[in-house]
Amino acid sequence: MFNYRVLALIKRELKEKILSKTFIIMTILMPLIMFGGIGIQMLLRGDEGKSNVAVVSESRVLTESIQKELLSADFMKAGNYTFSFYTQNKEELKSFLDKSKPNLLEGTLTGVIFIPASAMEDKKIDFYSKTPTNLNLTRRLDGYINKVLVNNYFSNKSLSADELEFARKGIDFSGFKITKEEKIEQEGFGNLILSIIFSFLLYLSLLLSGQLLLQSVIEEKSNRIVEVILSSVSPKELMVGKILGSAVTALLQMIIWLSPIILVISTTLFMLPAELTFSITLGHIAFLLTNFTLGLIVFLSLFGMVGSIFDNPQDAQSGMWPIMILIMVPFFIAISMMENPNSPIANIASLLPFSSILIMPVKMTVVEVPLWQLILCLAINTATIFVVFPIAGKIYRVGILITGKKPKWSEVIKWLKYKY
Amino acid sequence: MHALEGKNLTKTFDKIVAVDNASFEVPEGSIFGLIGRNGAGKTTTIRMMMNIYLPDSGEVILRGTKVGQDFKNQVGYLPEERGLYKKMKVNDIIYYFAELKGKTGRDVHKKADEYLKRFDLYDRRLSKIEDLSKGNQQKVQFIATILHDPEFIILDEPFSGLDPINTNLLREIIMEMKQRGKVIIFSTHLMDFAEKMCDHIVMIDHGKIIMKGALAQVKSKYAQRNISLTYDGDISFLQSDPMIEKISNYGNTTGIRLKDANSSQQLLRMLLDRNVTIKKFDANDISLQEIFIELAGLEDEGKNGRKEVRNV
Repeated sequence: MFNYRVLALIKRELKEKILSKTFIIMTILMPLIMFGGIGIQMLLRGDEGKSNVAVVSESRVLTESIQKELLSADFMKAGNYTFSFYTQNKEELKSFLDKSKPNLLEGTLTGVIFIPASAMEDKKIDFYSKTPTNLNLTRRLDGYINKVLVNNYFSNKSLSADELEFARKGIDFSGFKITKEEKIEQEGFGNLILSIIFSFLLYLSLLLSGQLLLQSVIEEKSNRIVEVILSSVSPKELMVGKILGSAVTALLQMIIWLSPIILVISTTLFMLPAELTFSITLGHIAFLLTNFTLGLIVFLSLFGMVGSIFDNPQDAQSGMWPIMILIMVPFFIAISMMENPNSPIANIASLLPFSSILIMPVKMTVVEVPLWQLILCLAINTATIFVVFPIAGKIYRVGILITGKKPKWSEVIKWLKYKY
Repeated sequence: MHALEGKNLTKTFDKIVAVDNASFEVPEGSIFGLIGRNGAGKTTTIRMMMNIYLPDSGEVILRGTKVGQDFKNQVGYLPEERGLYKKMKVNDIIYYFAELKGKTGRDVHKKADEYLKRFDLYDRRLSKIEDLSKGNQQKVQFIATILHDPEFIILDEPFSGLDPINTNLLREIIMEMKQRGKVIIFSTHLMDFAEKMCDHIVMIDHGKIIMKGALAQVKSKYAQRNISLTYDGDISFLQSDPMIEKISNYGNTTGIRLKDANSSQQLLRMLLDRNVTIKKFDANDISLQEIFIELAGLEDEGKNGRKEVRNV
């Protein structure tokens, strides 16, 4: 099947696709969007803006301790926070709040923290603000205020410095991933982020390369180039050439997209913070790419088939939906796996034709997948090719030469029986 | 042995018989015309020859063996509905089509340049197809058809949409190809061209072959009762003459069909007696157009009872 004709077809497809603006833009832009998106999220989380907070307590001692604690805090160096400190009782607070209302509403005063004397017993403090749910601010300050309250509480009791230190500390959760391997690795969010990246990239690439192939088949059909080409090659060669050309393009794009991840996991050039470490191996990537290649052939066959049925992209929309659903549903299942990697739906879908192309590589980044499942997955997808490709090929060879009115689905099924 | 042979070709699409048991032979070194009106089955026949369609029954034989990829490598095909990749450059697209036939390298490029110069397209060789005029696109397509020096050239309605200058250029190149021993098969509904260029023809109507053979033989077979006449004067008296079966006015010439082939001399004498000025009196000539109308028309007659033969 691989002769000079197919090679010429593949060469043309590659030249047309790889040099196209869409390809270049998507290839470069995607990682920027991906990492830019993550970066922007981090920035948004980090950017608290300028905050001006009034801290009011009922006890002078408490006010002074908090003042001392806050003003010497690390985050003060960034200069985003300014504090004013008052010692007032509840009555005075009321008039203070009334007085500060315009400032609070304008935003020149971010909030008023009131620490009543009772807080020394029950740690309950009040926060008055236009946006009292500002988690950034309360999270930022609660550790320091807690420390003062704890110090205060235990100051009269005879406790050692160590005991005090223990009492002050909050709880720190560390996630550990259980795998078959002997050692238990500490795991951060790294793999969760990877699973999102994988889901998006696979989804995007299948849709994008599929649509490009579909357009190119429709172009050949509606421009009647196809008849000239068929005077040199067989319809099967043409379809194989087009699918392989598109598959190589998509694979190349995927490798480019994944290259930052490959670099991170295979070299020590980039040090990611511990909580972002990617704990996957090159084996994962190799599986993803192999499985993706099989998936490309399956889906490109389907997109090529749909393209051959219709004369124009508008009509083709109706034929494209079923295939889009075969890509979109697995995508949503893959995304939902972040919440619950062991969901039964994801487990089943990771071994079904079509859906396993997207779900299995995502699943194996969040949970340990036994080897037999990986092999089964590849086998199922290979088998899918052997079912899908001949059917798609039959419809394709009839469809590309039929122009005119939009065919009915019953007619398309009849094409399967045509002798061509 | 014939260069190419169709044997009992039949092709049906959804109960419509496009080609019905068609057999024909294309001799070596000939210009072979496949003629018939629109929708007669010409393109389907050609597609079966090209192995683009598999016939429901029958086969196409190339020099003794069934056609396949072998034939595709030796053929240059210009389909009726032409198309090129709009975004590709002229050079790239003609190299690409040659590459699909297995021809690459400097020789092909050199030859491409020659053809481009000949078709007055050399300075446009780096333009994109979409920037060319329709006529120029057709020329590019024709170059792509013949660049790989095919043994067989199959042209489906090659003259449709060409201006007179390019029509001549195309005809010139077809004749050159013939001189180099290539087999040229073309389909057309323009009888004029077929008559001027073909040495063998097949006439196809409603999917059936209604007539085939060497053009000269076909013509002499049908010419005996037919007279082609160019004249000055009034010949209306002939309308009621018992010798005459039918008079058809083709503008410059008038075709007269006699009831009896032997009465042509009598007709000439009668015209002279009536002072009609004879400019041309050809008793051994019939246009393909007339034959076609006679045959295709008769077929209609057979179908629908006695029906007036319609002049095209």
